[in-house]
Amino acid sequence: MKRQIPILLAIGASLYPVIAFFVPTRGVTRFNQTLDEWMVIIASFALLLGIVSMIQVNLAKVHRRSSGWLYGLIVLVTFAIMATFGLFGRQGARPEGGLYPFTWVFQFAFSPLQSTMFSVLAFYVASASYRAFRVRNVEATLLLIGALIIMIGRIPLGQSIHPIVPQIAEWIMKVPNTAAQRGVIIGAALGAAAMSIRVMVGIERPYLGKS
Amino acid sequence: MNWANRLLLVDRRIIFLMVFVGALIPIIRPIGLAVQISPPVEAVFDYVEGLRPGDTILLSFDYGPADGPELDPMANSILRHCYRKGIKVIGMSLFPLGGVEMGIARLNELSTELNAQGGTDWANLGYKDGGQAAMKAMGEDIAAVFPTDVNGVAYGAIPMTRGIRSYRDMKLAVSLATSVLGEWWINLVNAQFGIPVAVGTTAVSAPRYYAYMEAKQAIGILGGMKGASEYEELVERAYPDLKGLSRTATMGMDVQSIVHIIIIFFILFGNAMFLLTRRTREA
Repeated sequence: MKRQIPILLAIGASLYPVIAFFVPTRGVTRFNQTLDEWMVIIASFALLLGIVSMIQVNLAKVHRRSSGWLYGLIVLVTFAIMATFGLFGRQGARPEGGLYPFTWVFQFAFSPLQSTMFSVLAFYVASASYRAFRVRNVEATLLLIGALIIMIGRIPLGQSIHPIVPQIAEWIMKVPNTAAQRGVIIGAALGAAAMSIRVMVGIERPYLGKS
Repeated sequence: MNWANRLLLVDRRIIFLMVFVGALIPIIRPIGLAVQISPPVEAVFDYVEGLRPGDTILLSFDYGPADGPELDPMANSILRHCYRKGIKVIGMSLFPLGGVEMGIARLNELSTELNAQGGTDWANLGYKDGGQAAMKAMGEDIAAVFPTDVNGVAYGAIPMTRGIRSYRDMKLAVSLATSVLGEWWINLVNAQFGIPVAVGTTAVSAPRYYAYMEAKQAIGILGGMKGASEYEELVERAYPDLKGLSRTATMGMDVQSIVHIIIIFFILFGNAMFLLTRRTREA
C-alpha cells in the first residue's frame, strides 16, 4: 500500500488536468481549478524546502568551521535580516516618505550587488573574446562572422555604416537562429512530453525516491 | 617569443581599462546615435497602440536587479504608453529574486511621473511563487492566486480589478522576463488561454523568442537594451508631449555601441595575431 497509493495519486493527479482540458464541462473543470490552487500551494512548499536545506547546509558549515564558513555565516545572517523585514514589515515606500526596511535593503544593498555582478561580465566577455574567439576551422569562422554581424547590426552604429547591416542581423535572427531554436525547443518539448507520459502511466516514479 | 605572441598575451587589465574608458566616455558625453526600429518591437507597440482606453493589460515583472538596466526601460516605456492611452495595467511578478520590488519601483515611479492613480489606473498584485502553477490558476480565477494586492488590499476591493476574473478579461499579457518564465507565458498562457503575449527580455535570451514570434505565439519581442530604446523612440514619436522624459535605454545604447566596437576590435585583432603566429610556426 505504501507504494500503490502514491502511484495511484500521481496517475490521477497527472491525468485529471489532461481530461479536464479536453472535457471542459463545469463539473470536471471545477475540481481541476481546485487542483490548480493545490499546485500553487505545493509549489510554495518547494521554496520552504529550499530554505530549510540552505539553513541546514550553512549551519553545518559554520558549526564545523569548514572552508568558506564565513560566507555561510553571512548567508544565514542576511537571510535572517531579510526574512524578519519581509515577514514582519511591509514593502515599498512609506506614506510619510522614505522606504520600508525590506525595500531599503533591497534597493541599497541587494540591487547594487547584483548589478555589479552582472556588469562585470562585460569586462570578462571582452577579455575572453580576445583570447578564445579564434578562427581555428570553418565552423568557428562562420560563428565569428555571424557574431560580428549581429554585434554591429544590433547597435545604432550598424545603421550608420549601412542600412542593410541591421537588416542582415535581423535576417540571421529570424531565419537561421529561429530554425536552430525550433529544433532545440521541439526536442526539449518532446522529451518533456515523453517524461510526462511515463509519470502518468506510472513507469517513472521519482516521487517514491527512485525511478 | 615574437611581438605577435606578446600581443596575444596582453595583460587582461589593459582590456578591462579600455572597456571601462569606452563605457565611461558616452556616459559623460552622450553621442545620441539614431535608433532604428525593428519589426518585433514595432509589432508590440502597434498592438498596444491599437487598444482602447479602459482596456486592461497584465504586466509581469519577471526579473531582478541584475537585468534592471535592460528591462527597467522597457517597463517605463510600456507604462508611459499605457498611462498616456488610458490603458489599465495590472502588475505582478513570478520571479523570486526581486521581481516584486522591481514592480513596486516601476509602477510607483511611473505613476508619479504621469499622475496615474493606483487602484484605478493600475494595481500591483505582488509576487506569487509557483511559476507555471500560478499562471495556470490565473486562467481560471486571478483572485484565487492573488487574494490581495501587494499592500494587502483584497482583490475584489481594488476598483480597477472589478470585472477582471481571468485572462479572458484582459487584452494582453506582457512578461518582462529574465528566465524561462517568458517562455512559460507563451507556451502555457497563450497556448492554453489564448491571450496575446509579448515578451521583453535580455539581449542574450532574445534569440530564443524569435521561434515563438515566427509561430505567432508571441505578438512581438523587446530584445535587450536595443528593444527598450526602440520602444522609447516609438512612444516619443507617437506622443511628442512625453519628450524630455528619461530615455535610459537610448542613452545606454551609446555605451553599448562603443563597448561592442571595442569587443569587435579585440576579436579581429586577436585573430590577426593568432593567424600571424600560426603562419610563423608553420614557416
